[in-house]
Parts: sequence; structure tokens; C-alpha cells
Amino acid sequence: MSVDPHANVELPAALAAKEVEITTFPEELKAECDAIRGRYETPRAALMPILWAFQRRFGYVSQEMERVIAAELEIPVIWVRETVTFYTMYNQRPVGSHHVQVCGNLSCSLCGAKETLAMISEELGIGVGETTADGRFTLSVVQCLAACEEAPVMQVNDRYYGRLDRARVREIFGGMG
Amino acid sequence: MPKLTIDGREVEVAPGTTLIEAARRLAIHIPHYCYHRGLSIAGNCRMCLVEVEGVPKMMIACHTQAADGMVVHTDNDKCREYRAAILEFILVNHPLDCPVCDQAGECKLQNYYMEHGTAGSRVDEDKVKKRAKAKQIGPNIMLDSERCILCSRCVRFTDEITHTHELGITERADHSEITLAPGAWLDNRYAGCVVDLCPVGALTDRDFRFKCRVWYLTAVDSICTGCARGCNITIHVNRDRPHKAGGTRVMRYKPRENPAVNQWWMCDAGRYSYKQIDHERVDSAAVDGRPVAVEQALDASAAALKRAAAAVAVLCATTATNEELFLARALFAGALGGHAAYLAPPQGEQDDLLLLADQSPNTRGAQEILGTEVRDPVGWVKAHGVKAVVVVGEADLTGLKAEVDHLTVIATHPGKAAAQAHVLLPGSVHAEVEGTFTNHAGRVQRLRVAVPPIRGAVETWRLLLELAGRLGHPFDFAFEDDIFAALASQLAPFAGLSHDNLGRRGALLGSGAPQPTEVV
Amino acid sequence: MSAPKLLSANFGSEVSFHLDHYLERGGYEQARRVLAEMAPEAVIDQVKQAKLRGCGGAGFPTGMKWSFIPKGGAKPVYLAVNADEGEPGTFKDKYLLTYEPHMLLEGMLICAKAVGCHKAYIYVRGEFDLPIARMEGAVAEAYDRGYLGPDVMGSGFAFDVVVHRGGGAYICGEETALLESLEGKPGHPRLKPPFPALVGLNGCPTVINNVETLALVPHLLRLGAGAFLDLGVPTQGGTKLYCVSGQVNRPGIFEASPSVTLRQLIDDYAGGVRGGAKLKAVIPGGLSAPVLKPDELDTEASFEGLKQVGSMLGSAGLIVMDESVCMVEAMRTITQFYAHESCGQCTPCREGTGWLRRIVERILAGHGRAEDTDNLDSIARKITGTTICPLGDAAAWPVMGFVEKFRDEFEYYCRTGHSRVSGARVAG
Repeated sequence: MSVDPHANVELPAALAAKEVEITTFPEELKAECDAIRGRYETPRAALMPILWAFQRRFGYVSQEMERVIAAELEIPVIWVRETVTFYTMYNQRPVGSHHVQVCGNLSCSLCGAKETLAMISEELGIGVGETTADGRFTLSVVQCLAACEEAPVMQVNDRYYGRLDRARVREIFGGMG
Repeated sequence: MPKLTIDGREVEVAPGTTLIEAARRLAIHIPHYCYHRGLSIAGNCRMCLVEVEGVPKMMIACHTQAADGMVVHTDNDKCREYRAAILEFILVNHPLDCPVCDQAGECKLQNYYMEHGTAGSRVDEDKVKKRAKAKQIGPNIMLDSERCILCSRCVRFTDEITHTHELGITERADHSEITLAPGAWLDNRYAGCVVDLCPVGALTDRDFRFKCRVWYLTAVDSICTGCARGCNITIHVNRDRPHKAGGTRVMRYKPRENPAVNQWWMCDAGRYSYKQIDHERVDSAAVDGRPVAVEQALDASAAALKRAAAAVAVLCATTATNEELFLARALFAGALGGHAAYLAPPQGEQDDLLLLADQSPNTRGAQEILGTEVRDPVGWVKAHGVKAVVVVGEADLTGLKAEVDHLTVIATHPGKAAAQAHVLLPGSVHAEVEGTFTNHAGRVQRLRVAVPPIRGAVETWRLLLELAGRLGHPFDFAFEDDIFAALASQLAPFAGLSHDNLGRRGALLGSGAPQPTEVV
Repeated sequence: MSAPKLLSANFGSEVSFHLDHYLERGGYEQARRVLAEMAPEAVIDQVKQAKLRGCGGAGFPTGMKWSFIPKGGAKPVYLAVNADEGEPGTFKDKYLLTYEPHMLLEGMLICAKAVGCHKAYIYVRGEFDLPIARMEGAVAEAYDRGYLGPDVMGSGFAFDVVVHRGGGAYICGEETALLESLEGKPGHPRLKPPFPALVGLNGCPTVINNVETLALVPHLLRLGAGAFLDLGVPTQGGTKLYCVSGQVNRPGIFEASPSVTLRQLIDDYAGGVRGGAKLKAVIPGGLSAPVLKPDELDTEASFEGLKQVGSMLGSAGLIVMDESVCMVEAMRTITQFYAHESCGQCTPCREGTGWLRRIVERILAGHGRAEDTDNLDSIARKITGTTICPLGDAAAWPVMGFVEKFRDEFEYYCRTGHSRVSGARVAG
């Protein structure tokens, strides 16, 4: 789970700054959205790839964006809400520039995931579900990433990193902007 | 036609019939939450698991189709064991707040648990917190997500019946929750139906909640008066504990299933129209605006009518019952040799689900019984040289009083008609009489007495009978069913029908005798 | 031991995912032959004879699945490729998508011809960024060079492929949840019947196959059904990809004949238990598969072989645990997973998975009770067979297996409030 939807905590300032206000369908996504719709048989079927397009562009999908997307696809806004909240990868609020997602499932646990998570938490200075004050890192625990052969594993944004130890984690984070 | 055996009894059903429906044909009730005949099959509650011989897994009766030779058990030890298990699962996160829950007494979770549950619960873990606790989601609807068992009936209703899509299920696993669409408000024309559909206390009606415990209510079959559809309803009356609701007698309407009329639904306008029953009623007779005893008013009316001899007429609103209309016709057009007609019904909005533009419950009855529709009462009275008029019900009678020597109005509520009357008689509403309405499609449907006429009022049919007696034409009718019997014997479309044989679902004009009553 | 590497020969390659590299290896020749000269029935017949079985987890005979698609119907037929690899302990399809995307496309083409399908969706789990990029690259290359599109390889056969990115939901690996997701909805599995072969995507007949299953199809046709069957066991043709993870010396992906035993996979392929520790337990087919003890490992790692020891091959993800593992701790990770991934649609799974999780967490917090062990088992048993989809079974079987085989550990924890395994290392 990327960000706990039930966490009603106030957004840290660094993340609040990443919030964007969207009231109409963004021009820059129109062409991509039309292309996506061309690949699917129904407007609703185009929803997930369009949500991905918004998340790539804005880092998350706000409720305003949900409304804009529903209007564009001419589908009920509740359908968008259901889909956004069902899938864990759609961020409903902004996250850090580097979303660190540590696998906590069995194979990783057998290879020290608990210690790895504690170590990463210590390195970043934040707990699970938190974001660094500078808005660079958000730390989450996720379910199996299908990379058990490299346990313990984490995903940072789109990339997988395996066989984690402190030296490697420092090297990875050090190389990030 | 597949023939199968359910609990040792054979039944033959149409291909495609589900086990739950096949069992219903045998009057076997299979417990269920998510299944509803008016909605698509969701199969999510798993309460209706039954054993089909030769199938290792328990099967849900709401989705499994009957097959020839199938042997089904709905109430053996295995079924009871699984039913208890499902109830136990439902209670993992359901609060045990029955004492403060308004659904108590009509809750399917409470009822099934009493019947099928395990005595003690093994659940001793914290319950999942949901977001919506007693949250208003529409003008009339409250949502309590912690009581929700996620049967999705309300969601399917707004998707499939009203197509308004206000509700959905968000999140997943045991955090799943019924959610109102962002920016939405559950205020569609039929929103109240979600309360009827909710098997537990998750969706409650703001108009009804906490007013009265349901076990103090008496349910009486009736017909909604909101439009010409004639939706079948039950009137819920607080007979036992009037002091609990400030003396209010009628607490609510609930739709009653009739596949030929309203299926399972009714509109909110009709649902909340019950409030009119006890609201600002005409509760005393009057002559020229002075309150008098009903007998005195009847005497005054009869004297005036006598003076007019055959230049008399009755004008009935289309809210009158068939029985009242027939009496009016028999007296004025028959015995007195005058005229009888009905007032053009008021028109309103209509939609493609239930609501019809004709806002009266008995226009079709008036067409059949009185024949003549009057749009301009003043012009009509002039044209027919009428000197004295009796108006039954509400109508705009502006200018009528000046055209005639006498105007008697039998009214239930102060209004435009009552304001004009020389003689005002306090009549009855539909909930106060036995009788019938004929809906727009010609279906004759019964009204039952839910409450007696409000203090001071008299059944309208009795007022008409009293007038008839005073005018020298007594009718030999003791009760409403006698009047209907006469109606049926004299008007061909009603032939063969009687109060007794209309049943709970009514019968079509011209059908001679009603169809056999379906299993409920 | 010496099975040919049909699928895995190029795993790790920097070039194998390019069309040209695939063509140099004889790629698309089987598809070309099928499109040019084979009748659909003949293809299905070969697949049936070769005893190709679905590698997603259920092991359903692929040829039979294809033959369920109605012929000559008015509605279009869809192919949905299940690349939502989410079963913990499984990572094989990731390799195929990354290193052999054209092998998958060729298998899809052959399937498409066999069932009369002209449009396919590849449903890839959302986290697989690189595999998605590789797959999309391969699709683009194939369109450019006429291996996809309105006239595939000049055969007149039209075939379109869309790569669809999932949103993070284990349940979408269940085939009808996958279809719901492809339609833009939450992944709520559908009631069956009707089955997808008749009413699938957009209400049309749909074949849903796993990546590995389809990638084997070109090899099946190249080798011929008989030779393909000979690579496997009498009930299951071809080679199989095995994922071995957990406490072994060389975790990884291995291609072998399904005649291989679990013990061979652990000892010979994955280098044995890490640090020479004593083996305690193996989950043989992804997290859902009932756990096995060391004395049950000389079992053939085939669909039928594992059924015989009360477990299943599933997605062929072996999770190996040594003696340092506390099974109650391991159970926490497992119950947390299913409680998180239940779609929430039907009662026993939605409520039961969370209930199991909370009981295990309470035991681990030192508040276990004598009846908890029996309750875990009986609750799990009431989830099995009562749910809309197999996730209920998948969540219940591990619990039943753990309680059956390690009951003493659960009872000890409930009684004493701490683990019987000193220095236990697994924690959730």
C-alpha cells in the first residue's frame, strides 16, 4: 500500500507544495488520452491508463482530477473513485520525489526484510508512511514485488533494487537527486 | 423444464430458474442478504449457500441454476453449519449496537442470527473502523458504514434502477466501504428505496429514524395516492404507542411488491406523502363558515339539494375511491336524475420509472364510473343548468359559488374547494376506508383501513349514504364491499370482481376474475 | 536434470528482447507456419496432445481451454494474457516479459489463429516498469515490421495487441478480476458461470492464458506434440520455470522438466539451504500452496505430483525456510498478505482474512489463547469453498497447512506468549 487512505494526517508542507489544482482536463494530456481511448472498446476501459497518465504527469490523482477524468470519459465519477481507491499504486495525495517501497512479504522477510526496513528507516530518518521534511523521500511497505530472487528488495519509483544492505542502500540513495 | 428435488419435494421450473426461486415456488425461504429479485445477482453475501448432492462445494442458491434431477438441501446440518459460519463472518466487523440501532426489529442480520446463528461468538478482535458513522448522504438518508455488510444492493439500485450512480464501494478487503460519489448527494427521485433495500441498519431514513420502534407498528396494505400508477404500499401505523410519536398515527409508507405495478419501488414524493394524512385535516362540519355538527350540516345540504330538485350535480375529484364514485353516480345521476362527473386531475412531472403525470390515484376509476371529465366546473354547471352541487375532494372552484344556489364540499383538507363551500363536510382519506382505486392501466386495487377517520371526520362514503337517506333514496349498503358488489354488478368492466377476490395484487378491469395470487 | 532451455536460454541477455535477435533464433517461424497453413483445429489438437498445462497456477489443460471458445460466433474473441504475476514467491513471467517478449507475442499469434481472435491485451502488473517497457518496445517493433497489425506476415490475418498496466492488486491475477480490471473497474472476480470462454471481456468470448503458457506454444509446435510431451511427464508436457527463493544459497529462476523433485530444485539448482542450515519447511507453489515438511520433498514438482502430497504446484514459486524460522511469525506475513489483498467482495474472504490476521497478530503479541490454534483452522476451513473466487482458498490453505504441520509451534506460542524457535528470524 503506497499511502494509507485512512491516514487523515495533515500533509507535510513539502508534499502540500506538490499539490496541483486541476479544474479542466489538462491540454498536455489530451492527445495521450485520445490515443489511449483508441486502444480500448469502452470509455471506462481507458480509465486505468488515463489514471497512470495523470499520475506520471502530476505525481498523484486528486479528487478534482477524478472528476475531470470522469467528465472527459463521460462516466460516473464514482466509477473513477472506486478504481482509484481499489488499486494501491494510484497515489491519492502527493508523495516524495523518491517513493521507497520496501517489500515485506515472506521471501524478503526470510532474507531480513524487517532489519532492512529498520535500516532504511534509520538512513532516511522517517518511519513507514512518512516523508522527509525536504519532500524527497516517502517510505512505504508493500506486498511481494515478484523479485524474491533478489531479496530483500525495494522499489523506488519505477525501479527495483535487490540484495539490499546498508552500503548498497546508501549508494542508491546517495545517487538520487 | 428441469424437475428437481428441494428438501425432499419435487418442483418443475422454467429453464434458467435459480435455486432460490425454485425454492420460493415451494414456499421454502433460503436466507439471503445480497439477493433481490429486482436487481442483478451479486452473489457476494454467501448467506444462501445450499447443498447440491454430488457437488462437493456448497452452492449459492441465488446464482445456481436448477437442473433436471438436481437434489438440493436447504436446511440440513451442513447448510445450518455454513449459515452459522457466514453469520459469524459478518459479525466480525459488525457492531453489536442493536439496542441503539433503528433497524432493530426489522434487521435481517438480527433475525437470521436469532434463527441460524451460533449461541456465542468467537470473535474477540477489534473491529475495523469505517469512515462514515451516522453520516447524512442525502436529504432523507443516513449512512452508517460500520453496520454495512457490503451486500451492494443500494449500489446496484442506483446503477441499475435509477441509473444515477451516486453510490459505490471504495477501497478493498475489510476496509471496503459504501461511498457517496465526490460532490454527490443521494437525492434522486427514488432514493428512499435504498433504505428498504438495506437488510441491516446501514441506511436509515432520516424521516423515520428514532421516531418509533418497528415492533410497535402495524402494517396495513394500501395504495399510494401520489399518482395514477397506484404503487402498492403498506401503511405503517403506530397503534400501540401513540404517545411515542406525539400522537402521529401513520409513521411511514413502505413499497409493497407488485410486479404488475411498481415492482418493489416507490418514489420519494409518494413515500413521504403519508404526512398529509394527519396534517391540517378538516375535522368539523361547517355551514357558511360556522362549525356545526355533521348531522346539522348534512341536513342543511340535503335541504338545499332538495330545493334544486333534478338540477343537481356531483363533481368528484379523482382521489375518491371507486366506491365513493359509484355512490355519487347512483345518487346524483341515478336516483335524483341529475348529473355526475369528475374533475380533471392535476398534472405534474413524470419519469420513465414509476411516476406518472396524472397526480391522482383513481382517474381511471372515475373515467369508468362517471365517464364525463370536467375541466371548467363553472362552464359545465352553466351548460347543464345545475343549481346545487356537491363536490367530493379538492378542486379549484373559483367562481362556482356565484353560479349556483348551493355548494356542498366533502373535504379532507382545507383548500380551494373547502373555502368555497356553503356546507362543508369532513370526509375521509384513503387510509381511513376500505375501498378500491383503479390505476392508469385499469388495475383495480384494494385499500384497507389503516386508521379510523381522524377525530371529527366521517368516511366519505358514509356521508354520501347519509345524504342519500335524507334525500329520500336510502341505499342498502352496510359496508364498502357491498357498494363494490353493486358496482361490479352494474358496470361491465368491473364484472366478476369483488373486494375478496382482488387479493393483494389487484385485478385488471375486464379480467372477469383475478389471476391466482402468486406465492410471496 | 538436463532439460533443454526452451524459455530461459537468454534470461539476462542484453539483446534477446529485440526482434532481430529473436528472428535469428528462428523466431516467428511457427506463427508464420500456423497462419499460412494450419487449421485452428489442428493447432488446438497439437496443444492438447502435447499436454500443455496452464502455468498461471491452476494447471488447466490449455488445448481444452482454447477449444471452449465458440467457433464462428458473431461476437469478437479476445485474448487476455495474464502477466499480473503477484503470487508471492513467483517471478518467472517477469523474466519472460523482460527477455523474451517476442516469444510471448509469437505464442499469442498462434493462440489467436487457433481461437479466431484478433485483439489481445497483455495485463502486466503495475510495478513491472522495465518488463512493461520491454513488452511495449516489442509490440512497437512487431507492428513496424508486420508481425502485428492488419496483415500479419502477409497472411491476411489481423492481430492487435495492447499492453495494459495494472494498478496494484494481487486479485487481478484471478482471471475474471483481470477482465474487470481490463474494463476499468475494481478487480472484483465475477460469478461463474458464465465462464470467460463464453462471456469474457466486454461480454465476448475470451481466452485468458499465463505468459509462460503462451511462450511455450511456439516450442510445442516446433518440436511437435510428441517431443514436447516427452520433455515433461505423462500428464504435463514441456519444461517448467521454477522460482526458488527464501533461505537457499542461490535463489533464482530455473527451467527444468516437471519430473524434477522439490529436493533437486532446492539442493541441485538453488545450491541447498543457506549456510548449510537444516531445512524446516517448503512452500512449493507460491504463497497459497500448503506447506511441506522436509520428508515430503522427494515429490515430483508437477501439477499431479504435488497434488498427491496435498499441496500444489501453483505458480511454481518455492519458498524455502530453514530451522531458524518461527512458523507463527511466518504465518503473520502470510495472513497479512491475504487480508490486504482480499478484494472485499464476498463475506467469508473479506471478513475471514482480516480475522485470521488479527488472531495471529494477537498470538504474536503474547495474548494467545488455548483455543486459537483450533480456531485458526476452523475459520480457514469455512473460507474454503465458500467464496466467489479462489483467493479465499488461497488464503485458507496456508493456514490449514501451517496448523496441521506445525501445530506444536502455534500451541506453544499461545500457551507461553513467545516463540518455540530460539532466535527466530522472520518477522512481518
